[in-house]
Amino acid sequence: MTPVLECNGLTKAFGRKKALSDVSLKIDHGQIVGLLGPNGSGKTTLIKLANALLTPSAGEIRIAGMTPGLSTKKIISYLPERNYLNDWMRVQDIIGLFSDFYEDFKPEKAYDMLKRLNISANDRLKTLSKGTKEKVQLVLVMSREAELYLLDEPIGGVDPAARDYILETIISNYNPEATVIISTHLISDIERVLDYVVFINEGRVVLSSSVEDIREQGKSVDGLFREVFRC
Amino acid sequence: MLTRLIKYELKATGRVLLPLYAVLLVFAAISKLIFAFSDNSYSVPAVISTMIYIMILIGMFVMTFVVMIQRFYKNLLSDEGYLMFTLPTMTWKHITSKLLVSTIWNIGSSLAAILSIVILAFDEIFFTGLLPKFFRLLGEFFNSFGLNSGLIILEFILAGIICMASGMLIIYASIALGHLFNQHRVLASLGAFLALSTVSQILFFCVTSLPGLDSLSEYVDSLDNLQASAFMFHWVMWFIIIFFGLLSAGYFFITNYILNKRLNLE
Repeated sequence: MTPVLECNGLTKAFGRKKALSDVSLKIDHGQIVGLLGPNGSGKTTLIKLANALLTPSAGEIRIAGMTPGLSTKKIISYLPERNYLNDWMRVQDIIGLFSDFYEDFKPEKAYDMLKRLNISANDRLKTLSKGTKEKVQLVLVMSREAELYLLDEPIGGVDPAARDYILETIISNYNPEATVIISTHLISDIERVLDYVVFINEGRVVLSSSVEDIREQGKSVDGLFREVFRC
Repeated sequence: MLTRLIKYELKATGRVLLPLYAVLLVFAAISKLIFAFSDNSYSVPAVISTMIYIMILIGMFVMTFVVMIQRFYKNLLSDEGYLMFTLPTMTWKHITSKLLVSTIWNIGSSLAAILSIVILAFDEIFFTGLLPKFFRLLGEFFNSFGLNSGLIILEFILAGIICMASGMLIIYASIALGHLFNQHRVLASLGAFLALSTVSQILFFCVTSLPGLDSLSEYVDSLDNLQASAFMFHWVMWFIIIFFGLLSAGYFFITNYILNKRLNLE
């Protein structure tokens, strides 16, 4: 089966600074993957390349065998690390927008999750707090039935209670064929849900392994991370 | 998808511009009332209300321009671009929807301005015989140009829309070119605008000085003969339509290529 995400010699440079250099990687269907690394290691760059928001400087990236474009946008559900909401809209307007453009978007799922998180669909996005906006974006992203979920720092800005609910949603909401890639440096919070981890540092992949293998060596992901990235 | 993009574009821009139109028309009506009740047109309330009216009028056109640039830059190339460029739709549809909606608002603002002038000059237009005079002039125009007159109006409208579109597309292309730089993108966009307009002017100069295409001076020479001047007029209009049409296509191509193949959102 074609891997859901594949990179070959993928490089991205901004001016002279290389954000990613020569990354080769294969991620298969049906797992939850942690893309782990310290700040500025290239996690966001990799995810943006997968979404065609950045153009590679060298090498290639493929999503389910395709170069990023119209057909990959249909199967990727992407949560950026920043707020992309149009401030003038109400929560229900942005849900309408997602229903208009994504065939796999399930509005009833979105309304259900909003209710659980105590967010009113009638609120203007402008009036929401930063954390609530993050929750709204996560609700939008998780209400799609995508093949690949790319979640860039999904739990960074929300309170611990919501963090638990969000993780629970991520695990329970996606179909077994789909892959979820979560980028974060808050490893202990998500360790229990991960099947596979990719460690990335200074634009290079330093480790790529299943969580099972790490546990067999008698280590935890968090412990291994501290070992690899010791300052 | 294009119609959906247009729908959202209209919503996002209409909520800014439609209230402005309403304010303009209401203020034209208020000014009209103040004029009707003051003895001479130089009384203090009349002068103040005229000044406010003119400020709103200028403000409306400035806003139309600002909204056009802001919708392209902010909605596509700032944080909001993370949403827009991950929607499953083609890049040219984003550009087209923004171009179409901006054209609509340019025309809308002009209509609102005309309507406000009609309100202000209501008496002059309807009670002093200006309207019949206008229709008489229009009748003369149709009489003297006959079948051509419909075509002339069509050419005027087409040339107007195409010149407007090329004016917007040169700005889109400049912003897109500025986006190719890693730093100082706004400054680079200004530079790109200067470069593009210079190149376009040189092109215009080259094309118009081609032998046999020196039509404008011939047009002026032929003005004493009505039939010949109508012919030359068509020539000049179609030259403008085709030249600016091709220029617009070039700007569109540059914008689309960069946003499609060289996108690097910050």
